[in-house]
Amino acid sequence: MKDRLAQSLKQSRADYTEIRVERTWSSAVAFRGRRLETATVSEDQGGFVRVLNTGCGWGIASFTSLDELPKMVTRANELSRAVRLDEPIRLADVPAHTGDAVLDLDGDVRGVALAEKKKLLDRYNGAMLAVSDKIVDTQSSYRDEVSEVWYVNSEGASLYQLRPEVVVSGTAIGRRDGTIEKGLESIGLRKGWNSVQDFEPQFRVVAQRAVDLLDAPRVRGGAYPVILDNELAGVFIHEAFGHLSEADFVYENPQAREMMTLGRRFGKPVLNVGDNGAAKGLRGTLPYDDEGTPTQDTPLIKEGILVGRLHSRETAAKLGERPTGNARAISFRHPPIVRMTNTYIAPGTKGVGFNDLIRDIKLGVYACGAFGGQTMLENFSFTAGWGYMIRDGKVAELVKDVVLAGNLFQTLDRIDHIAGDFTWNQMGGGCGKGGQFPLPVTEGAPHVRIEEALIGGDV
Amino acid sequence: MIDRLLDSARGAVDNADALWRREEQTAVAFESGRLKAAGISEEAGVNLRVLAKGRMGVAGTTAPKPDPKELVARARASAELGEAVELAFPNASPQSLPPIPTFFDRTANASLAELIRMGRLLVERLARPDCQINVSVQREVADTAVGNTAGARGAYRTTGIAVTADLTRIAGDDVLMIYDQYVGADLPTAADLEALVRSVETRLAAALKVVTPPEGALPVVFTPAGLAAVILPLEQALSGKTVLQGSSPLAGKVGETLFDERLSIIDDPLTPGRPASRPVDDECVPSRSTALVERGTVGRFVYDLETAARAKTQSTGNGRRGVFGKPHIGYTNILFRMADGVPAPTTDLGGGLIGNIADGLIVDDLIGVGQGNVISGAFSHPVGLAYRVQRGEITGRVKDAAVAGNAYDLLKRIGEFGRDGRWLGARWSPSLLLDGVSVARRR
Repeated sequence: MKDRLAQSLKQSRADYTEIRVERTWSSAVAFRGRRLETATVSEDQGGFVRVLNTGCGWGIASFTSLDELPKMVTRANELSRAVRLDEPIRLADVPAHTGDAVLDLDGDVRGVALAEKKKLLDRYNGAMLAVSDKIVDTQSSYRDEVSEVWYVNSEGASLYQLRPEVVVSGTAIGRRDGTIEKGLESIGLRKGWNSVQDFEPQFRVVAQRAVDLLDAPRVRGGAYPVILDNELAGVFIHEAFGHLSEADFVYENPQAREMMTLGRRFGKPVLNVGDNGAAKGLRGTLPYDDEGTPTQDTPLIKEGILVGRLHSRETAAKLGERPTGNARAISFRHPPIVRMTNTYIAPGTKGVGFNDLIRDIKLGVYACGAFGGQTMLENFSFTAGWGYMIRDGKVAELVKDVVLAGNLFQTLDRIDHIAGDFTWNQMGGGCGKGGQFPLPVTEGAPHVRIEEALIGGDV
Repeated sequence: MIDRLLDSARGAVDNADALWRREEQTAVAFESGRLKAAGISEEAGVNLRVLAKGRMGVAGTTAPKPDPKELVARARASAELGEAVELAFPNASPQSLPPIPTFFDRTANASLAELIRMGRLLVERLARPDCQINVSVQREVADTAVGNTAGARGAYRTTGIAVTADLTRIAGDDVLMIYDQYVGADLPTAADLEALVRSVETRLAAALKVVTPPEGALPVVFTPAGLAAVILPLEQALSGKTVLQGSSPLAGKVGETLFDERLSIIDDPLTPGRPASRPVDDECVPSRSTALVERGTVGRFVYDLETAARAKTQSTGNGRRGVFGKPHIGYTNILFRMADGVPAPTTDLGGGLIGNIADGLIVDDLIGVGQGNVISGAFSHPVGLAYRVQRGEITGRVKDAAVAGNAYDLLKRIGEFGRDGRWLGARWSPSLLLDGVSVARRR
């Protein structure tokens, strides 16, 4: 394959050419309630060509028929030349890497019978259904893939990457009369079959929670001290701050650049945030991004001060900064754009735990898990999976419908305590941006305290 | 391709149906007012479903020359693990399908230069010194063929074009984002593009001044874009799948009047000029429109072949499938409208509904729609883009406010239907004035 791609590169008349070819083997099993929805094996493959000419824009072609590769290189060049630019697009220098990067398959999913995968998911799905007769419905899914990615560019890069992935997830729906509640478990790993064998207890827990939430009161709306658990804190930093640190948001926008000036204070000195595509064994981990740039640990906020951002080669060149290995595409169908990998809030003082964070809270909310989050830059909304009231320094009753809404700048600045109990939270699903969803990412955080945040709901 | 595949399946399995689709896209992207990229994409794939020993299995591939035997074998292996179901494969001939225009030569033949010209026009018209403007123009031409072993066949070509405009204005830490789009099967006319420009301009002009949000149970105008939070629960509840699973609040309510009697909701795959329109669904069921809600009364749920079989009813022609995975229920064009005709149009923000509002809001975008417990109808979201209305006039944009309500309660009594009915993607609706929406502000 590498030879075939090298051949096509040679034929390209463009100043810069890159070719990415992917072949993905995947299987999927899904249950809805007691019924199997599907059990399938799929094969997807295709290519992506992107070229650049001096004084011109990007020319892009994606295709499923690899026989068309030479034609597509020509087409991409024509498209590039049709886009005239006054200010040329430049790419920051990256040494041309060559070689193979084969991630550990940890039990090659291609060698496991589909019937075994059905049996595994049946076990997890059954564990949720068995919790209570109030669990009226479930949605469970298992998905795995092994993706082979070849990447070459006209600067001499030539890479082969083997990327495994496996995701198991389940939603338990509890119902009593008109009240419907849900519990959600999702595990996504850049690993294989061996890594997803022992999650029955977790699935049982979320089903029990769906049942418990049926009797839980809705949280009263208002401003509270709020503790985010590790999962919600991770989702929060990804959604509310991470997207702003993607340089394609600022690189052509002077006002945005001003808002995100390096050196600006974003939080108290306890706050440290980064993105680490090179962290070992995580779902967002890759040796190289989809422009052939090695991934790295990029500090974004250091002791409350904005110190960095995430780059592609184009955004790095424009801002005179260094590429960070964050140009990613979800598949050959898309161009690489600036994305996060494994984004984290670094742990606070060692030994400081959850109890230390709530000790002096008279009335507050402990917000746990995440059903979802959305940001419109300065404003965000996060739906926690469940929550507890904190009363007189202790965790009290379970509450539901915990929605955090707020302004990013105010909220980050109100993070006053960070525990030392850091965990990576490896979920399935993924991040969406520019029509590219789901991109495998990971978030990590310890327990985090916000001195005051707005919780939605009836007042 | 379809014939060869079904021939291969015949004899190997009890029954089979298949979809083959080829799509070609051409796209241009303007970033911060500059044309930055032009691209094409070509994709073809086939999806096969089989019934073997009464059990259902599926297989799909994007391989350029798939081996029919291998694909059938893969679908059979899937069926061995699959559930038993008695699918009634339809046998409609191509001649019996409703004739609707889905292919527009002008769209298919538009040159790259023409697409660029359209984008440039928007960029030039919307350029402001303190705003960033991103524009994209994307044209798609697709060929679809469906067939089954009961003898049904269908084939059609579609065109689609999407023009989007995205304006961002950052002043200090105040971020304002305004988005609009034209989506159609035929190219936009000069008037269509002009309407897009005006829509963005109108909303920008009204947003420049930031005012304090009101508070309490207030009249709120939901624009067609802002209505998503109110419509989404109904879309989920009207799906035959959620009804079958016992999670739809509308299950068992067919024939009951649960909504304002002026409200009708229709799924219509036959609307001319819409990219989601087609003569036949992805399971060979001829297209027809379905009255989901008729004059406030729950009419019919939408089904594909499998959910229809399990619910012992007929498919409504809402089967949709991709290259991978099994067919599922999908809406086509959803029309959310006043039962008795459309009043004279307006392009005013708020659809002509604000004249009698003493104090309230126009909601154009909410943050986090689709999160949480959607199907219950309850929603609570911070505003993404909203305007305050005082004494019948827009006084400015509000930030740091959240609106909450329950779609089922709010739609029982609609204050008024706006005169600004329009398409947004595959959904048509006017603005709606809804009363007693809870508005909270952050102090």
